[in-house]
Amino acid sequence: MITAEQKPMQEIIQYLAPYSKILLVGCNECVTVCAAGGRKEVGLLASALHLNSLKQGKTIDIKEITLERQCDPEYVEELTSYIDAADAVLSMSCGCGVQTIATRFKQAHVYPAVNTKFMGASLSQGVWAERCQGCGDCMLGITAGICPVSRCSKSLLNGPCGGTSNGQCEIGPETDCAWRLIWERLKELGIEGRYEALVDAKDWRPAGGAGPRKIIREDLAL
Amino acid sequence: MQKLNKKDDKQSGSERVLVIGGGVGGIRAALDLAESRRDVLLIDKSYSIGGLMTQLDRTFPTNNCDLCTVSPFLSASGRERYLDIKPMTRIEELTGQAGNFTATLVTEPRYIDIDKCTGCGECVQKFPEAVRFTPGLDPRAPTCMRYPQATPYAFSIDMAKVEDISQIQKVCKADAILSHDEVQKTRIKVGSVVLSVGAELFDPSVLDNYGGGQCQNIVTGLEYERIMSASGPFQGSLVRVSDNKQPKKIAWIQCVGSRGINEADVPYCSGVCCMYALKEAMVTKERFEEDIETTIFYMDMRTHGKDYERYFNRAKDEYKVRMIRSRPHSIIENSSTKDLSITYALEEEAVQKTEDFDMVVLSTGFRAGKDATDLASKLGIDLNEHNFAKTDHFNSVKTSRPGVYVCGVYESPKDIPETMVQASAAALMASANLPVICADEKIEDFFPRERDVTGQEVKLGVFVCDCGIDIGGVVDVGKLIDYVKTNSDVAVAKAVGHGCSAESMAQIESLILEHGVNRVVIGGCSPRTHESKFQDLLRRVGLNRYLVEIVNLRDQNTWAHRGQPRQAQEKACKLLQIGISGVRKNRPLMENTLPMSQNALVIGGGVTGMTSALKLADQGILTYIIERAPALGGLARSIRKTIEGEDVGAFVARLVEKVMAHENIHVMTRSIVVDHSGMPGLFKTGIQTGLRMNYMSIDHGVTILATGALANRPGEYGLGTLDGVVTQLELDFMLEDDTEKIAAMDQVVMIQCVGSREENNPNCSRICCQAAMKNALRIKQINPETQVFVLYRDIRTYGFQEDYYREARNLGVKFVRYSLNTKPLVTQEDGRFYVRVYDFILGQKIEIEADCLALSTGLVADDETTEDLAMMFHLPRTLDHYFLEEHVKLRPVDMAVRGVFIAGTIHSPKTIRESVTQALAAAGRAQTLLAKKEINLGAAVVRVDKDKCASCLVCVRACPFDIPFINADGYSQIDPDKCQGCGVCAADCPAKAIQLLTYEDDQILAKLDGLFERVN
Amino acid sequence: MENYEPEIVAFCCHYCAYTAADMAGSKRISYPANVKIIRVPCTGKVDAIHIMKALEKGADGVYVAGCLEGDCHFKTGNARARLRVARVQKILEDLGWEKERVAMINMSAGMGERFAKTAFEFTEKIKSLGPNPISQGKIEVQAVS
Repeated sequence: MITAEQKPMQEIIQYLAPYSKILLVGCNECVTVCAAGGRKEVGLLASALHLNSLKQGKTIDIKEITLERQCDPEYVEELTSYIDAADAVLSMSCGCGVQTIATRFKQAHVYPAVNTKFMGASLSQGVWAERCQGCGDCMLGITAGICPVSRCSKSLLNGPCGGTSNGQCEIGPETDCAWRLIWERLKELGIEGRYEALVDAKDWRPAGGAGPRKIIREDLAL
Repeated sequence: MQKLNKKDDKQSGSERVLVIGGGVGGIRAALDLAESRRDVLLIDKSYSIGGLMTQLDRTFPTNNCDLCTVSPFLSASGRERYLDIKPMTRIEELTGQAGNFTATLVTEPRYIDIDKCTGCGECVQKFPEAVRFTPGLDPRAPTCMRYPQATPYAFSIDMAKVEDISQIQKVCKADAILSHDEVQKTRIKVGSVVLSVGAELFDPSVLDNYGGGQCQNIVTGLEYERIMSASGPFQGSLVRVSDNKQPKKIAWIQCVGSRGINEADVPYCSGVCCMYALKEAMVTKERFEEDIETTIFYMDMRTHGKDYERYFNRAKDEYKVRMIRSRPHSIIENSSTKDLSITYALEEEAVQKTEDFDMVVLSTGFRAGKDATDLASKLGIDLNEHNFAKTDHFNSVKTSRPGVYVCGVYESPKDIPETMVQASAAALMASANLPVICADEKIEDFFPRERDVTGQEVKLGVFVCDCGIDIGGVVDVGKLIDYVKTNSDVAVAKAVGHGCSAESMAQIESLILEHGVNRVVIGGCSPRTHESKFQDLLRRVGLNRYLVEIVNLRDQNTWAHRGQPRQAQEKACKLLQIGISGVRKNRPLMENTLPMSQNALVIGGGVTGMTSALKLADQGILTYIIERAPALGGLARSIRKTIEGEDVGAFVARLVEKVMAHENIHVMTRSIVVDHSGMPGLFKTGIQTGLRMNYMSIDHGVTILATGALANRPGEYGLGTLDGVVTQLELDFMLEDDTEKIAAMDQVVMIQCVGSREENNPNCSRICCQAAMKNALRIKQINPETQVFVLYRDIRTYGFQEDYYREARNLGVKFVRYSLNTKPLVTQEDGRFYVRVYDFILGQKIEIEADCLALSTGLVADDETTEDLAMMFHLPRTLDHYFLEEHVKLRPVDMAVRGVFIAGTIHSPKTIRESVTQALAAAGRAQTLLAKKEINLGAAVVRVDKDKCASCLVCVRACPFDIPFINADGYSQIDPDKCQGCGVCAADCPAKAIQLLTYEDDQILAKLDGLFERVN
Repeated sequence: MENYEPEIVAFCCHYCAYTAADMAGSKRISYPANVKIIRVPCTGKVDAIHIMKALEKGADGVYVAGCLEGDCHFKTGNARARLRVARVQKILEDLGWEKERVAMINMSAGMGERFAKTAFEFTEKIKSLGPNPISQGKIEVQAVS
């Protein structure tokens, strides 16, 4: 899942300062699940923005709408009937959604209300951790299901660096050394021999090193 | 009191059950009977029901506030249509026999018409002397109700303290005070009787060495509860009576008047005082922490109940409650400071010590008073030597008179959960031969068909009570009506005097019909007490009960702000507007019902399971017993005699015979449960049965889990390695089968708490102390010359078991205490045992030679079985792997999943007699559910909008009851039959896909609109 | 704005705080009439949005009153409520508002005195903070126009 966090309130307020009619758009996918931009957060942010403008003696008109998925043009199409009435669009989805809106509605002033963070997994209610960097060449099959690319601070591919201390990463004791985790799990699985196998230098082109990526499935194209 | 057109002809039938005593036990029994559709009359000598529990500040082991736990429970008893309550009533005579008794009842005059009394308290304000006395420290609260949730919600007048009744009549705006009221004698036919009259508490003022009742800072445990209670005399502040200052150092003295041989003492143990002293000390510590020092003087710490040992450990280790094992000799009051000096001796020291305290709490126990003996003779039932009701050896609720059953402390001293178990058991026994009343008649039949209001324009009816001067004397009700009428959709608005009086209710009904009203607002008193009354009014005029909003103009406005009438007037308008704006959004809601399966499934074929099954089968319920062993009987087959000397084998054999012969019971031995699904009332359980493990599926409406516990066999003190080391169970067999061997023994050593009360099994096994007494006494019977040593940590012969402890001591059984860090050492040479232990009294190590070493190993939970069942039935377990009931205090056999009940040692260690009681209770509770024939799913439950649901799992994680799940279609499903209606999920849902019916977001926001947009 | 009378919304749970309020009444204990109670089954039902909307509509202060910690009739509802109140406080801080305008309060059903005492204290607090900043906005606008 893509995770996101709401931007600092003052940044949002600054973006919207010139406008009085706002279309506030949530997304019912990832940002709902990570409690950054679902129907409830849309309501809360709208309320906060109202409070802010009322305090200044102004009223702003906020239309709240939460789309099924902001990164699909068909869903974004639902905004057509509201877009003309709005001075600005404030999107609570990840960057994909913001751009889908901006692409579809050329004239619209679109602003993000959240910072898109990472692809992560839910550890418990309210806690998400980075688990994937989309490197395009998954090596979890040889690292016992623990990703060194996203979970090692240096993305090392052949064992830990010298900075590991008591099994924790040198950037901070709250971060597990990914290679310690990999080693422990290899042992648990009884395949610690694999640790010895050297991994060749990674080709970072599929990870974005060769420019923006795209997937084209000709079999699906209409 | 609410009665839904109850038919009067039932009053004379002998199909009724008479429940005597309105404490928690009596209420539970009456509710169980009413729920299982038996006609019940509950009488209590007091002016409102509730008994002792409503006087407690908090209860162990949850340390919860009582009022909030009991009050829903009490108001429930006002709602049952099969239940009548007669307060201030006692029984004079009981003639006839089971199934056809005639009871003569005497009702004292209340001098108040309950139907008219609004509970305003005006009479008490003016005439506080008419307040009835409450035991312990008289709270003299501004109301003479015992507590704010009192049932019935009305007052009573003590005529002896009234000079001129007409003066009081003048202040009563409801015209409820009667100048003439008489003792009423009535004769009614009843089929059976349940006694739950409790007992008295020992009055320690006869003890001169403990102040003789003269010291203000010596209080009893109950008085301490009243001091701590928010509804008590000091509004919950802990202060000394002598100087109103907060004490710094408090001592509790245990066993005051109990376990003694002096004139004022009773010999038995009251069973609850250790726990309540711990609770009081802990709650005190919780509130004041370092500011207060708490000390408990005790003889044996008796924390033998479920998880109670952990509670004791918490008191000691976390709360730092100081524990001193000593029975203090005396308390001396300092005449100027009113401080108290306690003189006591320690076991290990020869000298006496004296220590000063600010306050001393005497832990006094239960006494059978003169009322108890009088009642017994009126009812013709036998009492035991301690003047408690004598009951059957294997059935603790059956008195000597057929058809008369008992529960609670009138049977023996006990705590609330045990009382609740007995109450449900007694209700079951009492209902056994009585027919179910009008089983096919639905309550709905009393009401006209509901008018469909969907899509209709809102037409409001607003009715405002003046409640005499309680509302009308503070605010101008006429002006409120004028204000209300400014809402354009108000069809009718009217002042209705006492809205809850029969006359006004009739007026409101006709106005609703006349004006075609489809939403109603009542401005009056609290919805907590009157909502259901007005909901029923709506049903009578064909409106859905959820179309009414009660605005609390009295309790939360005119009562609180009567010194500021202007503010109260303004607030009343706003509150009414909140109600009006809110009710517009109210929707008619259905309380869905489904027909339920009438079969029962009992898992476990021991004494407990068989007992439950027999009782259900006797009611015509098809009952399945699943037993994994090849034969029925369970752990009881390894016990020969009870402490009372009863033959367990014969008892079990009789049970097995009855079960096997019963036409409504299907016994399946060599069977295990493999899967389970469905919902309460419609369960489906898969089992594998027989040598071939054939699969079969059983449909059932209720489930009773009774798979028991295991006899513990820890490898300590040579058990399993040294020849001749036996458990108490094995000794029990030797005592029956090999008396010659026993007779030849010179010395026998018993060690208590083996494998219990230790780090890996912290709780007490409860049964071992009585088992040791039982076997020690039998050894002495076989050969009085045989020396028996019992090495113990605390002797826990609770209740009347204390008699056996005393007898053992009298017969010369030696009791030597050890502690966890001075555990005995056992060696064996030439077939003889040598047990070395430190003797605290002698202050040195002693060595005891023994022919036989018997270990009290107790019970442990059957972890494997309870884990499997917990997984399949979605039930919680305790840390010790026993099952965890829904409410450890008030619902000890109900599980969190409705329709599932537990009984016997699957719940916690207990004796056969206690297991049987619980088996009866579980059957009784199961019967109450089955009697409904259908499942009411309620209306205040959440609803998921599947189109909005993002299946994010927040509701699944946030629900305090683990109800939601993501279904196969990929959205959250929250079963309305399991939903408790708290709304936590609705508030947490990030997609706003969940709404709690009756408290939907638009309803709450509309109320806010009412407050701000209309009025300002 | 001297002597202004704040409008205060109290979301009270049925089992404890609402009952405590009734009890304050039955004991005739006075507290400021500024407090208007909205009954909820459990404070766990109170959504952050409800609190925000109350402020938006003009409440000068909002508090959520539930059972004592650990005593919730629904096990954990009051603990959830406490976190939601904290969330709203954070939003208010971000907006430059006084976070003290919202609060979480715990009491048992028997604590009529505590209900009155907390109602009084909260009202005093809100009086010292002055009216909801929205009304200041309104006044400024009136002054300009």
